[in-house]
Amino acid sequence: MDSIIEVKNLQKKYGDFYAVNGISFEVVKGEVFGLLGPNGAGKSTTMEMLVGLRKPDGGTATIAGHSIGKDASKIKQEIGIQLQSTSLFELLKVKEIIELYASFYPSHIPIQPLIDEMLLTEKQNSLVKGLSGGQKQRLAIALALIHDPQIIFLDEPTTGLDPQARRTLWDIVLTLKERGKTVVLSTHYMDEAHVLADRIGIMDQGKLIALDTPNNLVSSIEAESAIEFKTKSPERVDEFNHLESVTNIVVNHDFVTLYTRNLQFSLIALLEYTKEKDISISDLSTRSATLEDVFLSMTGRGLREE
Amino acid sequence: MRAYYQLTLAQLRIYVRNRQALIWTLLFPFFFMIIFGLMFNDGNTTTYSVNLIDYDKTQASKEIVSILNKQNSLKIHQKSDEEKARKSLSDGKTDFVILIKKGFQDQVTSKKNIPAQIQVLYNESKMGQLQGGIATITANIDGASKQMAGYTPKVVTTLKGVEGITLSYLDFLVPGIIAMQIMNNNMNGVAGQIASWRERGVLRRMQGTTLKASTFIAAQITARLILNSLQAILTILIGYYGFDVSIRGSFLLVVLFVVLGTLTFMSIGFIIASLAKSPESAGPIAGFISFPLMFLGGVFFPVNNMPEYLQPIIKTIPITHLSTAMRDIMNIGATFGDLASDFGWLCVWMIVSFLIAAKTFRWE
Repeated sequence: MDSIIEVKNLQKKYGDFYAVNGISFEVVKGEVFGLLGPNGAGKSTTMEMLVGLRKPDGGTATIAGHSIGKDASKIKQEIGIQLQSTSLFELLKVKEIIELYASFYPSHIPIQPLIDEMLLTEKQNSLVKGLSGGQKQRLAIALALIHDPQIIFLDEPTTGLDPQARRTLWDIVLTLKERGKTVVLSTHYMDEAHVLADRIGIMDQGKLIALDTPNNLVSSIEAESAIEFKTKSPERVDEFNHLESVTNIVVNHDFVTLYTRNLQFSLIALLEYTKEKDISISDLSTRSATLEDVFLSMTGRGLREE
Repeated sequence: MRAYYQLTLAQLRIYVRNRQALIWTLLFPFFFMIIFGLMFNDGNTTTYSVNLIDYDKTQASKEIVSILNKQNSLKIHQKSDEEKARKSLSDGKTDFVILIKKGFQDQVTSKKNIPAQIQVLYNESKMGQLQGGIATITANIDGASKQMAGYTPKVVTTLKGVEGITLSYLDFLVPGIIAMQIMNNNMNGVAGQIASWRERGVLRRMQGTTLKASTFIAAQITARLILNSLQAILTILIGYYGFDVSIRGSFLLVVLFVVLGTLTFMSIGFIIASLAKSPESAGPIAGFISFPLMFLGGVFFPVNNMPEYLQPIIKTIPITHLSTAMRDIMNIGATFGDLASDFGWLCVWMIVSFLIAAKTFRWE
């Protein structure tokens, strides 16, 4: 396997606080690599260091064979970026701004097909100001693609978009992959990571806490299913550990999640035990385990909490 | 080169599409010329308002009145109510009251050696300002008296005015407005725009491409030079065709100082953008600096009239040199040699602020 990105022990410090605390991973040419984690986990900082917008305080990384910090301009030709906080000149038209960004590079791909492909044909003569959130993100991706880079960094491309706009964007990312581009994508939506990413690195508090394919990650928590309910006496949930087939318990205030290898056995055991001990439970439901549960079982917190 | 052209074009498009800025730019000079032109366009000539009461109403008294009437600096109003005239004098509404008593002609023609009296009343508290008026009135009445007496002087002084340049207040104002526009557009404009682009991540996104910072800055400068030159030309044309402002100097010299002023104030704008923590603070900082400069820098008022203790400041700040140079070129057709010191001062300002700007500039 050809690694196109190699990251070794990368660090970024703000004062005493490590935004990124020594992470290492490799991205294989042609894959979609997902960085999954809650806000503030260090995903954006990691990406910004890789694309050369922030200087790492420690560690190294190479992109397409060029080391970051040394060959910045060579790297910039190999990568296309869409930043979370990007805004563009509001008073330029879509086509004008694509032409502008095209002029920043030694060579670029034909502009009209790119506009068509990003579904911006009807909007090409509209001001950036008047675009919807989804259109702005597609424009940002068009700008990332204009010089035909090998690697594309997308930092939370679907945050704040409506479901339909998100799916449109997913299709675009999958098309990029089909064309052999390498995509590094950060997100805090586990469904997005699951659909798009070949491999996922889960980040929390500046560290990479897991790295694998989505399916392996889900099976790593040794649970096929989750049982969720509310209880008035969450302090007693430790007792549920002994219930049959339960592998892990996560408590969030009065909301309890039990992970189990065998839903049927665990559920019966739970009901019998709570009846016997007179523990009241409500809002009981069951479902299959997901990436969200991987994060939850590793950190005890949900992906979208503060 | 393509990036430079595209960025320049982009900046010009942004400017043209920013309706508010554009309207402000186009209307601003016009607006100022109308307001200030109406307020002050009398130029430097002072006139005195005179209430005259002629009780005599004879050949002699009428001759005196007609002589005084010919003086441009005296505005003679013939009245009949002395009470009212005295009241308006003590209220400060008029400057003089001239009374020609009954029997004036008789006194003039009488063989006795007592001269006829004309009474001139003035407001004592305004003595200082009225000197010119008093001189005009006495000189003219004296002349009339000599004429009536058939007196031939032995010695006369001949006064001859040499033709000079007549300048109205608008002639003074228009170059000042150009200087002010250059300062505002560049210092305030650059500070606000760069700070806001930085805050919103516009600059950071460009930093992620192979674009060089020098190309970006060069394009900014080019676009602003084009805008400022057009604006200066527009202001001059409005002044010339709309308000009859005179233009005597070389057009190239005007352009040279437009360029110099643009570069100087752009650099200062970049410094402010770097100092400002947020785009919201960039505006007030720039305003805080430009507002006093506008009044101290000879934009609206001549700097020579400013208090002595301010002179060292006035002679240092760049806007003074820009407005003075513009004014000298347009009003009296100054040559480059005449403006060497203003040119030098502006160059020093430009170089120093450019160096500081380059040192403090940051993309984010």
